[in-house]
Amino acid sequence: MTEPINAFVTRRRGDWEKLGHLLKQQRSGALPLAELKLLDALYRRATTDLAYAQSFFPGTDAHRFLNQLCASAYGTIYQPPRQYWTSVREFYARGFPAAVRAERKFIATSAMIFILGLLLGALVVLLQPGGAELLVPAQMRHFIAERRMWTDDILSIAPPNLVASAIATNNLTVTILAFASGILAGTGTIFILVNNGVQIGALAALCAREQMAMPLFSFIGGHGPMELSIIVIAGGAGLIVGQAVIDPGELPRRQYLKKRGVEAVKLVLGCAPFLVFTGAIEGFVSPGDLFPGPLKIGLGLLLGALFWSYLFRTPRGDGAGRSLAGAGRL
Amino acid sequence: MILFFWVTAYFSFSLLSSDFLGMFLNLSSLGRTLAVIGAFATQWLYWTACEVFGRGQTPGKRLLRIRVVSDNGSPVGVLQSAVRNLVRIVDFLPFCYAVGLLVMLLSRENRRLGDILAGTILVREERIALDKYERPPEAGFAYSVPSAAEPLSPADVELILSFLSRSGELTGEAKSKLTAALVKRYGPFLSEDEYKSVTSSAEAAEAFLRTRAQARG
Repeated sequence: MTEPINAFVTRRRGDWEKLGHLLKQQRSGALPLAELKLLDALYRRATTDLAYAQSFFPGTDAHRFLNQLCASAYGTIYQPPRQYWTSVREFYARGFPAAVRAERKFIATSAMIFILGLLLGALVVLLQPGGAELLVPAQMRHFIAERRMWTDDILSIAPPNLVASAIATNNLTVTILAFASGILAGTGTIFILVNNGVQIGALAALCAREQMAMPLFSFIGGHGPMELSIIVIAGGAGLIVGQAVIDPGELPRRQYLKKRGVEAVKLVLGCAPFLVFTGAIEGFVSPGDLFPGPLKIGLGLLLGALFWSYLFRTPRGDGAGRSLAGAGRL
Repeated sequence: MILFFWVTAYFSFSLLSSDFLGMFLNLSSLGRTLAVIGAFATQWLYWTACEVFGRGQTPGKRLLRIRVVSDNGSPVGVLQSAVRNLVRIVDFLPFCYAVGLLVMLLSRENRRLGDILAGTILVREERIALDKYERPPEAGFAYSVPSAAEPLSPADVELILSFLSRSGELTGEAKSKLTAALVKRYGPFLSEDEYKSVTSSAEAAEAFLRTRAQARG
């Protein structure tokens, strides 16, 4: 004969309340070492009680109480170690470049989709004179028709640090969207990549046709290489997610999504500070004639090269295992 | 929550200056830069920072007694929290979380896209009282259950105890009807007279039901 539920609760309740109390102490960091053993023993007993309640008193409040108690104890006992700052350093020293290298196929695919968009936009404008009206915003067309850069006026309206912060936050939003919309089976990511490619391609072709190529390149030259690299990497992250939705392989879809989602987001988090940096260049350096065009283009190419050599030349060494551990802690 | 914050902030600022946008333009350029970055940070960093440092809870979630945990029960990690909060932008599409709500209705564990991709789940933190199992029958009544009576299953005991802990919210006919039905169901051994005396008052019936629930099988 099993024990009646009332007697069970009366007999065991003291232990449960003690466990709840110890958990509260542990969370506030005030648990004496001596009590740790007791916490462990009480947790084990509570899980036994939970198993018992699950078999004999399913669906009762006693069962739900134990379920909640054990879940909260599990979360408290199996806390990951708190080393946020060391793992952030570890992430940029090894984890992020390693993640980019591991996902280079997706990033290359993303780059190809983006370049496809570029060519598409450029071809439409070059082959079809009316195409520019469709693809380039009217305001920009006016400026180009007057042989002026729309960006020359930016700094007379707002100070560069405001421009820089607005651009950086805007670029971060595009980057996040490129990653997040991968969950729509990759379609959102592809749309964003193609769309951005078409716009830039059309603009470049229009400027070339109107003999404005040099002003354009001296504007985008400074920040373009790094910024577009980051959009492409974020697009790669979106494609990873899209692939996980479409083809989870041998794992159940929910497990594979969890695994790949966490891997893909590393690419986005890794890019964030670099994106803020390019925003600063775009706000402070790119507009106007403060710096000569060739210098800006040279700076942009140098930054792009440094960024990619950071990603692909960071020593692997014994870092593979450690970077994984670091990423796990993150 | 965020929206609420900004709406409140906007109105309190406009009450103070009666021209928030004008004030924004009058801010020093550093102030404006900070405002732009602040708006961005509340939009993107708030949730992840709170969830990671608040054991899966933002202040709003704490108020509603819900918590984000990894779907294996362990605390939510930085990367997981980042995933679920970055994908929020897709769940929000086209307005007011329409996509997220639809996915929650259709998915097995009622999770939005961000939670599915991050492998996280929102759990409710209920406060479950165990007092009802230990409360003695009301004083002044002494009922006994014959040893031949069929022992109650835990589900029956739970039914009686949850009825008793909620009977205070019931009134009038509904209460007496339910009480009588329960007494009839769990006291088939009562004689005609005993049944009448038990159901004569709510207190008597509740004392009988509590005695019955606590009788050892």
